[in-house]
Amino acid sequence: MSFDGYKNVIKEGDTVILYLTITQVYCIKAEPKTVNKKGNFIENVFQTPYGALKCADLIGKHYGSKITLSKGWGYVLQPTPELWTITLPHRTQIIYTPDISMIILQLELCPGSIVIESGTGSGSLSHALIRAVKPHGHLYTFDFHEIRAETARDEFEDHGLTSYVTVNNKDVCESGFGDDLNNKADAVFLDLPHPWLVIPHTIKSIKDTGGRLCSFSPCIEQVQKSCLMLLKLGFQEIQTVEVLQTQYAVQQRSLPLLNLEFLKNEKDGSECEKKERETFKTITSIPPASLPGHTGYLTFATLPPIWARNLQISLNQNDINNVE
Amino acid sequence: MENKKPDTTINVGDYLVVQRQGYTKLHKLKNHGNLILGSFTVEMDNIIGEKYFDTFQMKNMPGSRRFYILEKVDEVNTATGSLNIEQSGADNRNIPNNAESQGLTKEDIDKLKGEELSSNNIVEQLINNSKTFSMKTEYSQEKYIKKKEKKYFEYIQIRRPSIRLLSQMFYRQDPTKTMGIRIDDLSQILTYANIHPEGNHLLYDSGTSGLMPAAIMNAIGSNTTGSLIHMHPGNECQKNAFVAMQFPQEQSDRCVNVNLYSVLRCFYQSKETFSFKNDSLEKPSDIATKTSETEGSESENRVMETSAVSEDTAEPSAKKPRIEENSQKRQWQLDNEKACRILKNKVDCLIITAKEHPVNIVKELLQFLSGGRSFVVFSLLKEPLQDLYFYLKSRVDIIYIRLSTNFMRNYQVLPDRTHPEVNMNTGGYILTGFKLAY
Repeated sequence: MSFDGYKNVIKEGDTVILYLTITQVYCIKAEPKTVNKKGNFIENVFQTPYGALKCADLIGKHYGSKITLSKGWGYVLQPTPELWTITLPHRTQIIYTPDISMIILQLELCPGSIVIESGTGSGSLSHALIRAVKPHGHLYTFDFHEIRAETARDEFEDHGLTSYVTVNNKDVCESGFGDDLNNKADAVFLDLPHPWLVIPHTIKSIKDTGGRLCSFSPCIEQVQKSCLMLLKLGFQEIQTVEVLQTQYAVQQRSLPLLNLEFLKNEKDGSECEKKERETFKTITSIPPASLPGHTGYLTFATLPPIWARNLQISLNQNDINNVE
Repeated sequence: MENKKPDTTINVGDYLVVQRQGYTKLHKLKNHGNLILGSFTVEMDNIIGEKYFDTFQMKNMPGSRRFYILEKVDEVNTATGSLNIEQSGADNRNIPNNAESQGLTKEDIDKLKGEELSSNNIVEQLINNSKTFSMKTEYSQEKYIKKKEKKYFEYIQIRRPSIRLLSQMFYRQDPTKTMGIRIDDLSQILTYANIHPEGNHLLYDSGTSGLMPAAIMNAIGSNTTGSLIHMHPGNECQKNAFVAMQFPQEQSDRCVNVNLYSVLRCFYQSKETFSFKNDSLEKPSDIATKTSETEGSESENRVMETSAVSEDTAEPSAKKPRIEENSQKRQWQLDNEKACRILKNKVDCLIITAKEHPVNIVKELLQFLSGGRSFVVFSLLKEPLQDLYFYLKSRVDIIYIRLSTNFMRNYQVLPDRTHPEVNMNTGGYILTGFKLAY
């Protein structure tokens, strides 16, 4: 129940982020008991490289406080959508914060917006979408995988977000998002293998006053098909972009300085004297040796309001004619 | 109640984004106002009462070569759609590289423009007078038409400003307008800051044309309880983007604009003037909503009265005269006191977008951040953030310090011609971290 708003003290049942080092960040549950593989209740103990942590001990501690472990220490943080994204249990490929940030800004979301997401996947983006639209907005999220939808629903409940989200188990390719959502959405996000099949359904769901659409696709062929469909249906401002983030390691480096001046003079014995080696110190930022070079292409578009749609369709028709 | 875009009609007084092909410009709509759009001066009166997203054609004003009026259109004749191209070449082997391929002179084109601004007609004339057009390949012809059409395009569309449109517009016009904050930088500053609609947020911004406070207030939302303290270094804060967003009164009231120096002086040297309120009685966020509930000048008077009364109780001897001409000066003092009350109870996120070296600013402002919360610092330069990194490392209450930058590029997506756009740019650097609770 620790995702809604800012919290100060860990309560029983909270999801807690355990920070050990910059590469060792985990999510754990502040619960005395957990279920093991055999289905029995056992004491909830989280094993870290610095010793075991009894999760029950976290209850009552302040978020942002230091936790002593048998061979070291760690810190507990309140989960944010960004921390959740890096610690969540993967059920699918997930979307990471650089893309998520771009999606939220480009979809023009703000508290009160109604947003549709398909598919739900592991819920990485969903948590950030909910933060952007609550308290009076709503997320309708769809996944055709029954267990996945079920798990996501449980997770949102566990995180105290149920009132901001509706999880549907449905294949939106065939019949769209349902009549309940007709003329309701401010924005639609698609992360599907065949987005161009779903784009026509979004027209019904997006408000008559218009809205924004985003499609996330790893392959350029998907992007091409989607863009053509968006043109045909009268979307405007169709734009494809990719964002890649580089995280630096900030370090102080020392470089030895070579003295070559003495070579200009004849040997006089002084060069054999032990001199302190000169070094040059500098602060630098080093990118990782290997980093993601591609996540997915983000295609954004605006569906104009109904009174401007026909004009946009005729405008786009010219581009389509040129293409064909 | 759920959507913050209530009115679709274009009204006098509205801030609007005028879109002409890829070009956008912010404009405040006045009666009998003109808009200068490149080499065109356009009279805007005819859009009043029409709807957002409507498209208008620029028509030559009779008897004038420079002035244009707008006419609402329901269909658009573009050169790309209506021109019939009969012949194209297979490649460019026979096309000479010289300036003699166009038969029309600049004067000829200006004359055409002056008679009737019609991209369709002008592009057709350009093609007819081009010696090489028919030798160009189909793709090259299309590119040529698009390029020329852009130059003489006579249609504009009226849009309501959004953070996306404003961010892209400022950056295209001049990246220094937003301190080099590109749209991806902005998006990540907002997510890493973890802005919730119910929190109190602190921003130090030394000049992004109001984009940072506008984007944060947009994320805090209307009819919520969150607030923003916007610290700035000057007498007046930059607020282009903020006013362009036209937030409802209750929402913009929850953004308190204060001068960095004077609010800190108030915090350290005038504790008694702002700390009169019992914390258990009223939280700062409640104050923010309460004042905004009552409208306009009435609420201002009420706030002034309460603070004046409490000042009296705190310092009976230092009774200041309350006269009309003082009210201008009083407002910033009230804002300082309001900000200090929030700062005293600490804030939920700290964002710094500074032209100055960030270390001293972060050193000073981190004290106001609650434990367990995150902060974000943006700089166009990497080196100051490296210094900041080492400063923060030397403190024992900061964890998860990350320094990152982005690679962003746009794509041209066309069948058989998809590739990254030819031009790209570089963004800035973002440092994020969490403060521990001690």
